[in-house]
This record gives sequence, structure tokens and C-alpha cells, in this order.
Amino acid sequence: MRSPAAAIAWEFRHRHRWGLMAVVGYFLILAAIRIVFLAPGQRVDLDVQSFALLVVVPITSTFVYFLAVFSYGLDGDLAARQSMYPARMFTRPATAGALAGWPMLYGAVAMALLWMGTRLLGIWPSDSKYEVPMVWPALLAASLLAWTQALTWMPYPLRGLRVTITVLWLAAIDAIVMIALELKASEPVMLAILAPHVPLAYFTARFAVGRARRGDVPDWRGVFAPFGSITNVLPRQRARFRSPAAALAWLEWRRYGRSLPAMVAIVIPFELALLFLFRSTPVIIFETLMCVLLTPPFMAAFVAATVSESNSHGRDSYGLTPFLATRPVTSASLIAAKLKAAMWSTLAAWALVLVATPIALMLSGTSSVVSDWVRQLIEIAGRPRAITMLLLLLAMFVASTWKQLVQSLYIGLTGREWAVKASVFVALFFIAIMLPLGHWTVTNRRVLAVVLTSFPWIAALLVCVKLSASAWIVARLYDTRLLSDRALILGAVCWTSAVLVLYGLLAWLLPALLFRRYSLALVAILTIPLARLSAAPLALVWNRHR
Amino acid sequence: MTESVITISELTRRFGARTALDSVSLSLPRGAVYGLVGTNGAGKTTLIRHILGLLRAESGLVRVFGLDPVADPVGVLSRIGYLSEENDLPGWMRVEELIRYSAAFYPAWDDGYAEELRRMFALDPAAKIKSLSKGQKARAGLLIALAYRPELLVLDEPSSGLDPIVRRDILGAVIRTIADEGRTVLFSSHLLEEVEQVADHVTMISHGRIVLSAPLNEIKESHRAGGRVPSLDEIFVAHVGAAAASDG
Repeated sequence: MRSPAAAIAWEFRHRHRWGLMAVVGYFLILAAIRIVFLAPGQRVDLDVQSFALLVVVPITSTFVYFLAVFSYGLDGDLAARQSMYPARMFTRPATAGALAGWPMLYGAVAMALLWMGTRLLGIWPSDSKYEVPMVWPALLAASLLAWTQALTWMPYPLRGLRVTITVLWLAAIDAIVMIALELKASEPVMLAILAPHVPLAYFTARFAVGRARRGDVPDWRGVFAPFGSITNVLPRQRARFRSPAAALAWLEWRRYGRSLPAMVAIVIPFELALLFLFRSTPVIIFETLMCVLLTPPFMAAFVAATVSESNSHGRDSYGLTPFLATRPVTSASLIAAKLKAAMWSTLAAWALVLVATPIALMLSGTSSVVSDWVRQLIEIAGRPRAITMLLLLLAMFVASTWKQLVQSLYIGLTGREWAVKASVFVALFFIAIMLPLGHWTVTNRRVLAVVLTSFPWIAALLVCVKLSASAWIVARLYDTRLLSDRALILGAVCWTSAVLVLYGLLAWLLPALLFRRYSLALVAILTIPLARLSAAPLALVWNRHR
Repeated sequence: MTESVITISELTRRFGARTALDSVSLSLPRGAVYGLVGTNGAGKTTLIRHILGLLRAESGLVRVFGLDPVADPVGVLSRIGYLSEENDLPGWMRVEELIRYSAAFYPAWDDGYAEELRRMFALDPAAKIKSLSKGQKARAGLLIALAYRPELLVLDEPSSGLDPIVRRDILGAVIRTIADEGRTVLFSSHLLEEVEQVADHVTMISHGRIVLSAPLNEIKESHRAGGRVPSLDEIFVAHVGAAAASDG
């Protein structure tokens, strides 16, 4: 390695060799299918789902992966004011132009190759009915990467500004391209629109790296300091915590408990605004209310990563910090604090929804539409059943929010990076498989009939897996004395009671003709969390005592 | 015979192909200052993490106050004050929140003593940990490790990268701790001058093996040559250099 260019290239190649090998392997498979199995010009009829699964998902994932790799986005804190360009590189004897330029060049080439590979190997002959452009998508991908690099390497005056500016700028470029496509712009026009982006992004990146290298980070925090000092005027709790459990729960609440209510508070005003815009369209009112109800569990899925993260700023972000690990409390107490803080967070988020929604319904004049639906439900199901149904629905939404927050604790708390990353990969793979499979099942009557007929067997199999896993976990909890006998018995009683209550409600609410009682029992067993939740203490112990 | 605070027997730990601790045996009686010295990567922190129960003994035995720190973390950790080299205090906490939070875990927490230490270390109670300098963070860590007067104070490379004034505070804390009868300090460092100032007993560790463990006075006397008592630095280089050469 005799030049900065070679050193930077070697770092990308060596550090991300497994990811790059996976991408190359994918294209080799596509090439093999194309060259070995298909005759020239042979048509392959892929439906939309199969095309999405085989081409769109891998290519989009690779695009996002390249964005993260070539912008050094895997290394730093996206929200920080400081540049995300690795500070270790600033002491290298290379100009700011070289430090910015080589990663940009490698990224642009990688993006161009990604598109070329997709164009040549991933777009199957059957899809030739679509006019697929050759060059400008490659230039678009390179431009988006170049701007991502420039904007992530730029130091910012406020925390979080990087994310806002980058998202807005990339969305603006996308919008311009979409408008051009809408106007049926030709390839030369598209090239003319996109061509200036890479050089402009390069000059911006060179300026950003130069500024970051000088340690020149603008600071506007002083402008907002007077707002921050308001909190100093508010009364602050000075008393001691009642118990270690109270202190642990406070810590968990302060670390992530406010994130979910804050995210919900940001999103639902926009959703509820639709009630004012479409007050005379009942379908949109219904869809809006469903979106509002789904917002807390949906947001909880994103917050969940921080619930199990114990060390967001440490060298080992997945491990437990010595500060937390050396608190003289049991691992079960640490888990209990997380569960409790998740519950507070859930209740706070739902309190916002339950206060804001009726107010929005009343102010928008759409409450009468909802009253009509409730009246119709009462007429069909009777008052007690209707009220129970609505309360059960609400309870299910609240419970699923809490469940989203805590159900992945058993993975995050292992503290093993490979376990966390593998779980994300498995989840994405599962989604990529299940979405097309589910769509295929629903649209294929014969298959749907088979699935519905064999539903009790499928559910029974899942129940067997769940209960076997739970039995093994409980045996381990008992052997290791992580939970006391009393806690284990209390847990078993609570879980059984919850299953019985849910089963009783479902049996009462749903007609026996349509839903067999044993199917409802299986659904109740599968719904109430057990195995993954009870595995959390074992995961934490594996992390705390390595 | 004095009761042992820490008993380690034939402790071996491997990380992949690398042996971090190799059949380490150690017994630390109550009421003295033990200096654990070694080069970077010698195994000091790995040994301390076993004592705290943060690492599970792959083979061998670790007992602290006669208890297994992995099986009974509450019993062990409630009697240990620990200052980590990692400076991993939560940056978002204010100093007074850190004190209040830490106090919840120790029934013997002494509010008066904590306040005295806070004033002595000149820590602003309203300051956020992330806004403190490295030295101030070390002082905050020291405060919460000392304020419940632990039976065993474990300091893992407490002085590394700190200025002489903070290092003086840390040494002062060690001296203050042993002023109370029956309390024990385990102090890991590669700054041998500091260890020489406060340690009663020195254990030298190299490549995961204990190459020398004895009272400081005995070590110095046994290395006297021609009427001259060598410094701990010289003794360390002689032993660790020899161990490194034999490994090579």
C-alpha cells in the first residue's frame, strides 16, 4: 500500500469483506442462472412478489448497506454534532480532498456496478416489456451516496440536525427525479439533471472534511440554553429512592422511557389532522383512527432496540457497562426494572392517544361518525359484548405496545453483537419470505382453504414449540436460582390466569359456529407472552457474567 | 490466621486462542493494600473482572468474602467499592442524580461522607457527567465507590491518563480507606511509583501468570544487591522481562 487511495480501498475491502462477498455471491448466482439455465432471450414469468423477493429486496438492502459503508455511517453517532468522518483518518498525511474524494469515488463505482449488475442480471427477460434505463439510475444511486457522504461528514451546530438535513435533501433529489419521470423525461435529460450532483457533493464533502479536521464544529446550543435552564427552575426530586428497584426503574425510564411517548406525541398530531381534512369521508376517518391506534405498537418496535441496549456510548455497545453490572442487585431485578419502565412508557404513550383522539374527534366534528359505528356495534352484538369487545381491542393494542418493547430483550441483553445482528437478519429474511407467502396464500383460494382447515394443527404445533421452550427456560431459571420459587410460581399463576381470561373473553365474544373452542384456547396460549420474556434473565446473566 | 477477603485458586481464562489468565492462584488477607502490577494486556483487568463476577471462571475457583461472585452478586458487590478504568458513568446523569442513584443500593451509604467527598473533589451537583473532565469523572466514580465505606475497594488502573492532582486524590482515597481497620484495597496499575507509595503487598502479573507475589518490603529486601535497594520499577523489569523472554 503505497498511497492513501490504496490504504482507504484496503480498509473498505478488508473490513466489509463478508458483506461484499455476499453481494458478489448474489450476482454470481444471478449470472449462473442467466448463463447456464436460460437460453438467450428465454422468458421467465416472475410475478410481482417473486420479483420483489428475488431482486428488489436484495438490491435495496445492498443499496442501503453501501450507503452505510461508504459514508462511514456504521462507525459514529448519526445525531452527534461532530462529523461522522473517522477522526483517526485526520492525522493521515493526505489532503482533505483525498480523504473525501477516494471514499466518494469507491462508493460511486460500487453504486454504479450495483445498478449495472442489476440491469444486466436481475432484470429478467420477461420484464423487458418495461423500458429499463441503462445509465441514469446508476448516476442517481451515486449522487444519493455522494450527498449522504457529504452531509454525514459535515459538522453541525445542533444535535440531530444532520439527520433532518440529510433526509430532507435526499428526499428533495428523489422528488426532482420523480417529477422528471412523471414528465417522461428522456435519458439525456435525466443525465443532465443528475450530472452536477456528484461534483457538487464532492466539493461539499471536501469542505466538510477540512472543517472537521480543524475541529471546527459550529455551536448553536447557546441559542437554546435559556430554554434548557427552565428545567433548573422546576422542582427536582432530592429525596433518596425508596429501594434499589425504584432507582433501577428510574434509570431505565430516564434512558429510554420517554422516547416512545415523545415519538407518539410527534406523529399523532399529523395523523389526527386528517380528521379535519376528510371529515366527510367515513372510510378515511376509520383508516385514520386505525393508524392512530397502531402508532404506539409500531413506534415501540423502533424504541425496543434501545430498551435492551445497555451501553449506547461504550466501546462495546451491546455489552453491559461495569457501572450497571456492578450494582449489587440480582439480574432478575435489572430485568424487572426494564419491564416496569416499559410499562410506564406504554401507559404514557397511550394516555396521549386516549386524550388527543377524543379531542380531535370532537373538534373536527367527526365524533358523530364514530358514535354511529359504536351504536351499530351495540345493535349487532348487544351492549355488554360491544363494550367488552372495544375494551379488549384497546387492551390488546396497549399490551402489544408493551410486548413490542420487551419481547426482544432476550436477544439484546445477551450483549453479543453477532446475536443482535443475526436476529435482525433473520427477522428481515422472515419478513421477505412471509409477506409474499402470505399474499400468495390469501390470493389462492385452494391454499387458503387448506391453511384454514389445518389451522388447529399449525397452532397446536406452535403451542408445543412455545411450551417446550418455556419449560426448558423455566428449568434453567430454577436450576440457576435466578428467580425464587415464589417468583416462578407467581409467574406461572399470572400467565395461566391471563390465558384463561383471554380464552373466556374470546369464547364469549366469538360465535362458536365460526371458531372452535380449542382453536380459541390455542390462540390465547400463543397470544400471552411467555418463552421470550422468561428468557430475558438468562440472556442478561450470560452477558453480566461472561 | 487472618481471614482471606479474596481467594483465587487455579483460575484459567481463555479468549479464543489467547490465554488471558493461566492457573492463577492468589489469596488476599483482610486489612492491607494490594498492588496488582503488570504491563498492558498482562491480565490485570481480567483478574479484577473475575473478582467482581463480571467474568465467569472457566476453570478454577474465585471466592470473595467466601462467596462466589457469579452465584451471589448481591452478597459480593454490596461490600465492594469499584472504580473502573473505563469511566463508564452515564453521561446524561447529573452529579447529584448519580449520588442519589448510587445511594439506593447500599444500606451503609453515608450521606454526610458523600457530601464531604463531593466538596473535596469540587464536583458541582448540577453538572452533567458528560460535561465533566476526565479527572472530574474519575473523582465522581471515586466518590460513589467510597461513600458507603466498602470492605473491599477495587481500583482498576484508576490513574491512567489522569493529571497528578487527581492521582493524588486517588492515592488519598486509598490511604483513607485503609485508615479504617479491617478494610482492604486492591489497586491495579502500571504506574509503579504509585503502587510503591501505598501498597503493602505487590503481585506482578505477566502474560496471565503471576510471576511474583509478596509483601513489598520482602520483595525489596530479597532484591537488595550490594547494599542498594532497587526500585519497584527495576524489580518489575527484571521479573516481567524474564517472563516475557521465557515466553518468547
